[in-house]
Amino acid sequence: MLAILLMSCGREPLVQTQSYVFGTLVDISIYGESDAKAHQAINHVLENFQQLHHQLHAWKPDSELSQLNQSFAVGNTPVKVTPELSKMLIEASELSRQSDGLFNPALGHLINAWGFQRDEFTPVEINDADIQKWVKAQPVMSDIVIKNEMVYSRNPAVKLDLGGYAKGYALDQAAKILRDQDIKNALVNIGGNIIAVGKHGDKPWRVGIHHPRLAKPMATLELLDGWAVGTSGDYQRYFELNGRRYCHILDPHAGYPAQGTQAVTVLIPPGKNAGVMSDVASKPIFISGENAKAEAAKKMNVAFYLIVSAQGKLTASEGMSKRLNWLIKNPDVKVLPD
Amino acid sequence: MKALFNHLKFSRILIGDWILFFAALLLVIFLFKTYWHVESATKLQIRQGDKIYSTLSLNQSRTLLIHGPLGDTKISIQNGQVRFVSSPCRNQYCVHQGWLRHSGQVAICLPNQISLELLGADKPFDSLNY
Repeated sequence: MLAILLMSCGREPLVQTQSYVFGTLVDISIYGESDAKAHQAINHVLENFQQLHHQLHAWKPDSELSQLNQSFAVGNTPVKVTPELSKMLIEASELSRQSDGLFNPALGHLINAWGFQRDEFTPVEINDADIQKWVKAQPVMSDIVIKNEMVYSRNPAVKLDLGGYAKGYALDQAAKILRDQDIKNALVNIGGNIIAVGKHGDKPWRVGIHHPRLAKPMATLELLDGWAVGTSGDYQRYFELNGRRYCHILDPHAGYPAQGTQAVTVLIPPGKNAGVMSDVASKPIFISGENAKAEAAKKMNVAFYLIVSAQGKLTASEGMSKRLNWLIKNPDVKVLPD
Repeated sequence: MKALFNHLKFSRILIGDWILFFAALLLVIFLFKTYWHVESATKLQIRQGDKIYSTLSLNQSRTLLIHGPLGDTKISIQNGQVRFVSSPCRNQYCVHQGWLRHSGQVAICLPNQISLELLGADKPFDSLNY
């Protein structure tokens, strides 16, 4: 009824907010609710994000995650963690295993060596000896032992950085909070990762996929109820040194930023961790070599993906290709059969 | 009147007429390409932190200084386009984005918490994945 009233005033019942939390931009749209109810629900979500940000901060020493990292560095005494962090670590370990270690949140020291554990990415002097030291130490998620919310690491080189997981986890939390608040239609965007709840009025929510080299979207797609989309790209977090681009996605075997890819976008069907998958699953595909990308997608159970190679060549899975509406003229897309 | 008619009837198309004709044609093509753009945006929304700083017409020439956590960011609006001119952030990604002119285009300066978004009747999506 209210929606009809609002519509009759000629204004769409859409509340949109933008905030800077999680060290990034958070964009929430709610459709078909009163302003008061929408803002209340949005505040719940933002409070949750703020709390997760403090809990999971990878380089502020007082976060729960940093304190765990400090205990890993000095020995293998089990430390009590919150049930929530324990669950996250179990899930992240499982996904790391599934990706054959390409998604590796234990690489905090290496990420720090590349200067990506900062709010801004200025070029660092590349210290190969330091990088090789952390590669040789082989910190992996299976070094971590989790039992009854007591956690320790068998390898002191393990330093957790959930940068490739936390935003996705927060998306799942956001969708849950909004549904619990009886919000039927919402779109949540955390630093580019997006999850949909319901629809935008009588149409599905529609998201644009950013072009990795131009300041505009290259395609759009409809994001149906419960679906999530995420992109790993070399164009948001990177630095340039001597004409070369170093992005924040590191190849754990080489210890160097993954080369050969501009962007990988994955579209994830509804599920209990669609948000997490939209964040995590693009990484192994991004890091894998050109011929191993389809296999990496399969390992992560990703059926819908789009790859932009370092040369700007487009490859899409058949399912993804059917869902994309290109905004660039005559895109030359190689379609891989499902 | 008759004299004028005779004049028109017998006048030949001279080189000057051709020049004028092509100049007019070029002008039409230029105007068409410049202004006849269905997706051209008309409005700019500037956000400062979590607030809308201003929603402005793109049809003006104007330079704005917007204050963020790091200092002042300079934005220029000109001929239906907008860009970050200078920013106190280190990465300068926002400045490197260059001119924005089509609806749906977005440039964000995360460190200084300022974003530019071009609005238009036909924005093709609700949110941007990047």
